[in-house]
Amino acid sequence: MNQFEHLKEEDAEERDDVVSTRDDRSDVDGGTVNNNNNNRRKAVSPAAGEHPLQYNYTFWYSRRTPSRPANTQSYEQNIRQIGTVASVEQFWKFYSHLVRPGDLTGHSDFHLFKEGIKPMWEDEANKNGGKWIIRLRKGLASRFWENIILAMLGEQFMVGEEICGVVVSIRFQEDILSIWNKTASDQVTTSRIRDTLRRVLNLPPNTIMEYKTHNDSLKDNSSFRNTKMTFSLKMTGVTFLNRATSVGHRATNTDRQQSLCGFSTPEHRHHLKGF
Amino acid sequence: MSDKMTQSKSCPIPTRVLQLKDWSQLPDCYSQTPGGTLFSTTPGGTRIIYDRKFLLDCRNSPIARTPPCCLPQIPGVTVPALHPLSKLEELKELEEEKDLAADENQFEMDI
Repeated sequence: MNQFEHLKEEDAEERDDVVSTRDDRSDVDGGTVNNNNNNRRKAVSPAAGEHPLQYNYTFWYSRRTPSRPANTQSYEQNIRQIGTVASVEQFWKFYSHLVRPGDLTGHSDFHLFKEGIKPMWEDEANKNGGKWIIRLRKGLASRFWENIILAMLGEQFMVGEEICGVVVSIRFQEDILSIWNKTASDQVTTSRIRDTLRRVLNLPPNTIMEYKTHNDSLKDNSSFRNTKMTFSLKMTGVTFLNRATSVGHRATNTDRQQSLCGFSTPEHRHHLKGF
Repeated sequence: MSDKMTQSKSCPIPTRVLQLKDWSQLPDCYSQTPGGTLFSTTPGGTRIIYDRKFLLDCRNSPIARTPPCCLPQIPGVTVPALHPLSKLEELKELEEEKDLAADENQFEMDI
């Protein structure tokens, strides 16, 4: 918490000359349209009769006009908090009143992050972290966003404190799902996150999953280029069994390739030639 | 509990085997923790775990349906985008984005 306070002071200095209506010191929600609400501190907790979450989470929304130049300050101005939730019911309150990501226009993102962690590379919790990304063709974002959120809120990832948050990014020809964790070098954690993603999103066995450290993103000032590609097991037949319902399905090379990605970027073309 | 003392028998874990011909035939509950909410003890302490079905069931409760107080008004996100000019701006942005895509990698972001 101390580190976050420190960041807050830095932010206040940076933004002094920006938007005069921003109310950084108030603890009461002003609710004004111009207030980015990025430093609100009103304590949120589950009400009586509600089901508590393991962590509180904050919804964020960001948007960029493509012609705007990219830098940290402009990113911070383009991102705003929507609300913080501490229970399952509070989560649905907000989620039900947000447009589905598939209906967002332009270059937009929804973020759902643990309270106190900003969805920015520079946040203390993200400095040594990275993210898994999954590219989706148009039409899948809403469903996958809902499933990844529910998995995160329901603590399905089983990686202790490592999860920071999830992002859905709406772009021109495809959409991108990201999940951020604190320690990029912790391969046990990143492997477990990857495997959980495959399970909770029902990803076809040959889905490409990419990991990128936030340090790398800072270096090339890009979120989704130059990632490390991971291929699912496709060399041998894979049988997986769910202990509860004993659903068994052997995936082999002869299975029809189910692609989540409808087109190939230069990075994909390079990697797909091995298929 | 029954009145009679019955000798308890061991009983195998109930399982169900499905033959699938296609990914779309996977049941909804596949790979979910059965039994709804699980308050379980994991290494490092107790965690609150919910499976997907349970979370979805909570959606219909009356508490969950009322709108949140303090929802910021963001056209196109939290409220309908009904300003007529905004549609024009959207189209303009789309054009700009297409032009960018032609020149450079379209995934360049300002994060």
